[in-house]
Amino acid sequence: MTEHRIATRREWQSERDALLAEEKEHTRRSDELAQKRRELPWVRVEKEYRFDADNGTRTLAELFDGRSQLLIYHFMFGPGYEAGCPTCSSMVDGIDGLLPHLHARDLTALLVSRAPLEKLQAYKRRMGWSIPWVSSANSDFNFDFGASFDVEQMRKQMPPEDQLPPIASHNAKATGTGLAEYISEMFGASVFTLQDGSVYQTYATTGRGVEFLMGYYPILDRMPKGRDEGEAFQTWIRRHDEYA
Amino acid sequence: MTEHRTASRDEWLAARRELLDAEKEHMRRGDELARRRQELPWVPIEKEYVFETDEGETTLTELFDGRSQLLVYHFMFGFGYRVDEENPGCTGCSFVADHFDAVLPHLNGHHVTLVAESIAPLQELSRYKDRMGWRFPWVSSLGSDFKYDFGAAFTEEQQRSGAEYNFRHVDQPPPQREGMSAFAIEDGVVHHTYSTYDRGVEQLMGTYSYLDVAPLGRNEEAPADWWRRHDEYDAREEDAE
Repeated sequence: MTEHRIATRREWQSERDALLAEEKEHTRRSDELAQKRRELPWVRVEKEYRFDADNGTRTLAELFDGRSQLLIYHFMFGPGYEAGCPTCSSMVDGIDGLLPHLHARDLTALLVSRAPLEKLQAYKRRMGWSIPWVSSANSDFNFDFGASFDVEQMRKQMPPEDQLPPIASHNAKATGTGLAEYISEMFGASVFTLQDGSVYQTYATTGRGVEFLMGYYPILDRMPKGRDEGEAFQTWIRRHDEYA
Repeated sequence: MTEHRTASRDEWLAARRELLDAEKEHMRRGDELARRRQELPWVPIEKEYVFETDEGETTLTELFDGRSQLLVYHFMFGFGYRVDEENPGCTGCSFVADHFDAVLPHLNGHHVTLVAESIAPLQELSRYKDRMGWRFPWVSSLGSDFKYDFGAAFTEEQQRSGAEYNFRHVDQPPPQREGMSAFAIEDGVVHHTYSTYDRGVEQLMGTYSYLDVAPLGRNEEAPADWWRRHDEYDAREEDAE
């Protein structure tokens, strides 16, 4: 026998109805926040950034690839990593299959990391992704947009390991790098628009703000056990070719 | 020059921080709703449902495939948005299903089995699945009451005289609608824990959450007006010329 509370269909129904009203309110609030994001002012990007791409060196404006909107995911893959971050990888699994729909809405999505391009290309082949991935190894881009930090500085300033969430040392190990090297890269999304040849930044988010890229979470949030991860959040996530 | 309001980085940051507070509040509210869903009572399933699958006839219990939680997506087939003989899978459900393969290994690794069900012969589902290049399990509920009992299909009688969809009375429901239902199995007993329909299904559609951070947003005049099967977008551009 289960220890969970059991009900008749009718009892369940009345509780579900009450919850539905709150879910609807939450959805409408999401719509409102999306509207507020669109109302944010835009900041012109004046600096010239150059990225190493599959087809040579590309400017930020060229990364738009003919569309007016660009969503960049700052994928944690620093120069000292041996493999990409598993949590970031789980997000890219999701983005990769959706590119036709995103392109149809005038949005280009791509990944930026600081590791050299050859390392990114090899890992992308292993993961079987098609999404464009550029290296900012020779650019300030990741530093300027808060996605990379100086390792030596990090080593001096970082909190002791036991004060970091377990996922930090877990993923440092999984990427074959030290803890300071691992957390010197930061995950996040930056959004840009291209208007008459000028690039503007419109939005940026990090922390739990990137959950919009983690398609398994809204599903788990609707399953009987929920996210079921506690303080050790995300430590259950593996690269898709690593699950037993 | 853009006509959108531009700002210095400092001004943008101030506006962004204010919005961040609202985003955080919304996220915490989302966590609270997830907890409330987990607190919903469970309804034991007494009826025996049988599905046609690639492995032969399978019960609802067997659909769990050894895991403790099951999510069933009620996929509209043979009826739906932009459906014809050559394109029998609903365009909207196909869009939803484009999100499944990516989350499948992660959900399966975390005790959740995800399957889609439709009321159509398995062979037709398999043919469409091959075209779309999908890998997630898709079972046939043809001949079963399953889709009807979980509020995503309506009998001819219900289509005339009314039924509940999304927990509301609808006077003349269509033959099928979209939805998803969650189940838990404990000690061999299957329990229904949750169902959601209509915009509730947007939770499966990461594309919308990406568009919700983009400057143009969802950019749709009517919901769904731009949806195409993922192999149809190029054709649409040619149409427009």
